[in-house]
Amino acid sequence: MNAVLVAGAWCALLLAAQVLRARAYGRKPLFAPAAGSPAAGARYAFTGAMLPWAKESVRMNPASYAAGIAYHLGIAAAFARVLVPSRLLSALALLGAAAGCALLVKRIAKPHLRGLSNADDFASNLLATAFAATAAVPAAERILPWACAALLVYIPLGKIRHCVFFFLSRYHLGAFFGRRGTFPPAA
Amino acid sequence: MPETIDIRKGLEVFRARLGEADAAHLSACVHCGLCAESCHYYRMDPHLENVPARKLDLVAQVFRRHFTAMGKLGLQGHALDEGMAKAWLDAVYGRCSLCGRCSLNCTVGINLPRAFKAARAALTAMGMVPADLQATVDNSLRHGNNMAITREDWLETVDWLQDELRAETGDPLAEMPMDRQGAKILFTVNPREPKFFPLSLQASAKVFWAAKEDWTLASDGWDLTNYGLFNCNDKEAGAITRNLVDAMARLGCETLVIGECGHGFASARWEGPEWLQGTFPFQVRSFLEVMDEYLEEGRIQVDPCRHTLPVTLHDPCNLVRHGGLAEPQRRILDRTTSFFQEMTPNRAENFCCGGGGGQLAMGAYKERRMRSGGMKAKQIKDSGAKVVVAPCHNCIDQLSEINKEYKLNVQIKTVAEMVADALVTEPPTGEP
Repeated sequence: MNAVLVAGAWCALLLAAQVLRARAYGRKPLFAPAAGSPAAGARYAFTGAMLPWAKESVRMNPASYAAGIAYHLGIAAAFARVLVPSRLLSALALLGAAAGCALLVKRIAKPHLRGLSNADDFASNLLATAFAATAAVPAAERILPWACAALLVYIPLGKIRHCVFFFLSRYHLGAFFGRRGTFPPAA
Repeated sequence: MPETIDIRKGLEVFRARLGEADAAHLSACVHCGLCAESCHYYRMDPHLENVPARKLDLVAQVFRRHFTAMGKLGLQGHALDEGMAKAWLDAVYGRCSLCGRCSLNCTVGINLPRAFKAARAALTAMGMVPADLQATVDNSLRHGNNMAITREDWLETVDWLQDELRAETGDPLAEMPMDRQGAKILFTVNPREPKFFPLSLQASAKVFWAAKEDWTLASDGWDLTNYGLFNCNDKEAGAITRNLVDAMARLGCETLVIGECGHGFASARWEGPEWLQGTFPFQVRSFLEVMDEYLEEGRIQVDPCRHTLPVTLHDPCNLVRHGGLAEPQRRILDRTTSFFQEMTPNRAENFCCGGGGGQLAMGAYKERRMRSGGMKAKQIKDSGAKVVVAPCHNCIDQLSEINKEYKLNVQIKTVAEMVADALVTEPPTGEP
């Protein structure tokens, strides 16, 4: 468990440094009068805009969306499973691991996705999927903290950093479109 | 293409455009690839280079290498060198119309056009902007309009159109006022109108006439276009915007009304104040908002029976997705015709016609532009419409080309033309 704590501290520290670095770029003052509310736009970006029927990319790829949800849920469950033994959490982690495998297969099978991928894409998937799988299998109990620590060490080094940048990015997108009156869309 | 590329200058300009939002957007992509089908380039040519995430990755690689700790240690990213600059050129000028449809469909919520504009700005600073696009900007800077129309030609055209307006309305007092001091509205136009589509300008004038509006045109500062939005040189874009601001100050008008043009509206309404670093002392409105208001207040009346063909509406990206104006044009068409039907998808989800982002001014990418326009052609065909209304002259140019290329056999009109053709007016009573 000490390894998890050390890795967790490393992860938190580096992610915080990266977010602070991004925030240090600053926000430029805006002079054009707003047509809508940046706050309402940001709220919509985190709510209505994320509903499956709100985005064409999801409507066209419902299986990928479902796999993505299951994957993220499974990884969250795996983190909780490190702290609390629970069959429900293990089952969710198993679902997440299966989804991770499916997304990996998709990444390899689809030409445009394969072309888009780099080593980080595969490393991130393998580490997160292995962690979820470890949390799902009772026999792997002893290596679960190590799988968790490995993932935590890697998170700030690769694309899994989106676990924090997702929020910053989506906030800014929502505020941008909110200010211009595009978000939320007219009923 | 310059003989030597000043990479340092490019990086300086790129860095200067970065803010917190950009740093977040450039750090957030997970390469899920779900943006691919949101792009009209990819939909019509499913090639890796057309995937928005791939284009973004080229920009993010440079960001990572030059502006993150891991990159500075040489562990991540790719340096901006001549090869990367050429890859940027192909991606952000040659395969993107900055329509922003990918942003709405991004899993993470990345504002991709912001990143692409930063890359365009860097390329422009390195002298790698497509020459024909830059020539359009230069025209605006030298001549006050992007088609280098002389002052005399502009004034003569308006004079001739005023005669036509008088003949059409039967009102010898109908006016297209020029430089009227203190008029409520300064109306600005796309140079394509006096040059190629004078009837479009006449239609706008007829609407003002019917509404008995206190309006004017300007002898200088009349061009609403601003291709500085596309070469992303903020200094040049600001100088072009200054023409409009100066005209407003000179004439003492209350409201700057932008004729039907997507990028012109986005430039004056949203970007202009940022380029000039100050809030304008006047209101900027689209002509669509003004016409909508006239109808709502009963200042003009229309007869929807005048239009008998099925009509559909194209949503210009800079007006709707990036401009926030989706409904006035719909309310106008609902009143102006009984045969209005939406394209699918529409509003902020609508596909770019392919002519945005300055693509119409970049001859080198014409083949890609026409191919990418296939998505719009499909939307039009599927709508079954015989008339396509487009509140944007750039879009109208592209739609006209698509009309021929894909044999759509549709009429293409502005909203003002639709309104002008449906106007119900009282017989004139004035004497010359």
